[in-house]
Amino acid sequence: MRGFDWAVIWYAVPYMLQGALVTIEISLCAMVVATLVGVVFGLISVSDFKPARAAIRAYVYFVRGTPTLVQVFLVYFALPRIGFELSAFWSGVVALAFNSAGFISEIVRGGLQSIDVGQTEAALAIGMTNRQSTMFILLPQSLRRITPPLTNELISLVKSSSLLSVISIAELTRSAQVIIAQTFTPFELYAALAVYYLVIISALSWLSEYIEKRLA
Amino acid sequence: MTESLLQVSGLSKFFGEVPVLDRIDLSVQPGEIVMIVGPSGAGKSTLLRCINRIEHPSEGTVLIENVNMAGEMRNGKLVPDSSVTTARKRRRVGMVFQRFNLFGHLSAVDNVAIGLKRVLGVKSAEAKARADKELARVRMSPHAAKRPSQLSGGQQQRVAIARAMAMQPTLMLFDEPTSALDPELVGEVLEVIRSLAQDGMTMLVVTHEMQFARDVGTRILFMDAGRIVEDTSPETFFTNPSHSRAREFLQRSLRA
Ligand SMILES: Nc1ncnc2c1ncn2[C@@H]1O[C@H](COP(=O)(O)OP(=O)(O)O)[C@@H](O)[C@H]1O
Ligand SMILES: [Mg+2]
Repeated sequence: MRGFDWAVIWYAVPYMLQGALVTIEISLCAMVVATLVGVVFGLISVSDFKPARAAIRAYVYFVRGTPTLVQVFLVYFALPRIGFELSAFWSGVVALAFNSAGFISEIVRGGLQSIDVGQTEAALAIGMTNRQSTMFILLPQSLRRITPPLTNELISLVKSSSLLSVISIAELTRSAQVIIAQTFTPFELYAALAVYYLVIISALSWLSEYIEKRLA
Repeated sequence: MTESLLQVSGLSKFFGEVPVLDRIDLSVQPGEIVMIVGPSGAGKSTLLRCINRIEHPSEGTVLIENVNMAGEMRNGKLVPDSSVTTARKRRRVGMVFQRFNLFGHLSAVDNVAIGLKRVLGVKSAEAKARADKELARVRMSPHAAKRPSQLSGGQQQRVAIARAMAMQPTLMLFDEPTSALDPELVGEVLEVIRSLAQDGMTMLVVTHEMQFARDVGTRILFMDAGRIVEDTSPETFFTNPSHSRAREFLQRSLRA
């Protein structure tokens, strides 16, 4: 193996930090949207409202059955067609959230359904509606079960954000690729790229462990 | 209309092809303490669950204080209730489960208060005060702040009774309230049920505690294979049951 070119990594630092910032911004926005939408969809999935339940099932079926990359392109090209002129950044947020919300709604549904049916029966027996039972009895008890898979999903959201390089968002992966095009040192830069992602995702894992402890 | 608090007519429940309840008729007057006994699988739990509509009956009607639990009659046709209306009608029927089913994330006092707050819209402070009073009635005040996991089975069941009573039900349903308890904890729960009975609470109690059924019940139903086989006074049931199935059942449970 030829010598490892450290200089190019130092050279790339400002660009990649800039890219990392975009990755973090886009991921955080997408996480918030995906979590909100995913939780709401998960709650609807266990409701009595059949048409909405069916619509969510179809949506989850689609998200699960198509590659994330294809979804990114679809959202990017579909949004203008239906009258939403979004910047690349916000198209990226929508694409990531669209993908993750499907998985999060399944995580929430699974969490709610994992609670002993006796809890629901006791809630109904004191006159709660299904919705009250879900909100006040099932959801609080399922939070601890939901947090670990939710963390996994959010981690995978951050990783998927690298796909947004294909719609020319100057996020982390894209910033590395731009420099590779200048310096022709792909190995050094992809190695550095891996480290940047590791740092971001470790921070996220740490945060989630902290939250999990607080919930316990 | 009748004076009955509870009027069950032609109630059937099928799981698939099998009738678990077979055309049950039953009317209960205010103040009656109805003990329901019978072998496992007879349909006792299903009967209670059809009465408060946690289970939907396949056929027949349940009237509680002359209110049809399934829906409203319009032009001779039954218009089924929305689930929200069913929930509202269910408020006045309390239920106590074999496995307690206390809300795991809430303290004893919050288990009792949550129905007041969320279902009846009582303000937090008042709900807490009323919950404290209900806990005192089942002698659980010292444990008000504990989570269900920190309580013994007998204590959990007493909290569950307080939770149901807080809603001021006109009818209480008990489904084997002591079957999941260690023998030494059975007494404290039966004592609480006995005191509710003395206060005039109308109740249906599924139980295997024959002595308790005899002492506290004003009426005994013996169920077998989805039907009420005997419906009589405790005195008659325990001294001179008319059906052979009831006699066999009694012999077995008294020997046990
Ligand atoms: N959800 C259900 N699905 C299918 N069968 C059921 C269900 N619930 C109860 N059963 C059946 O109905 C019968 C009566 O049950 P149950 O009412 O629990 O009897 P008991 O309380 O008298 O022991 C049993 O044979 C039981 O297996
Ligand atoms: Mg039973």
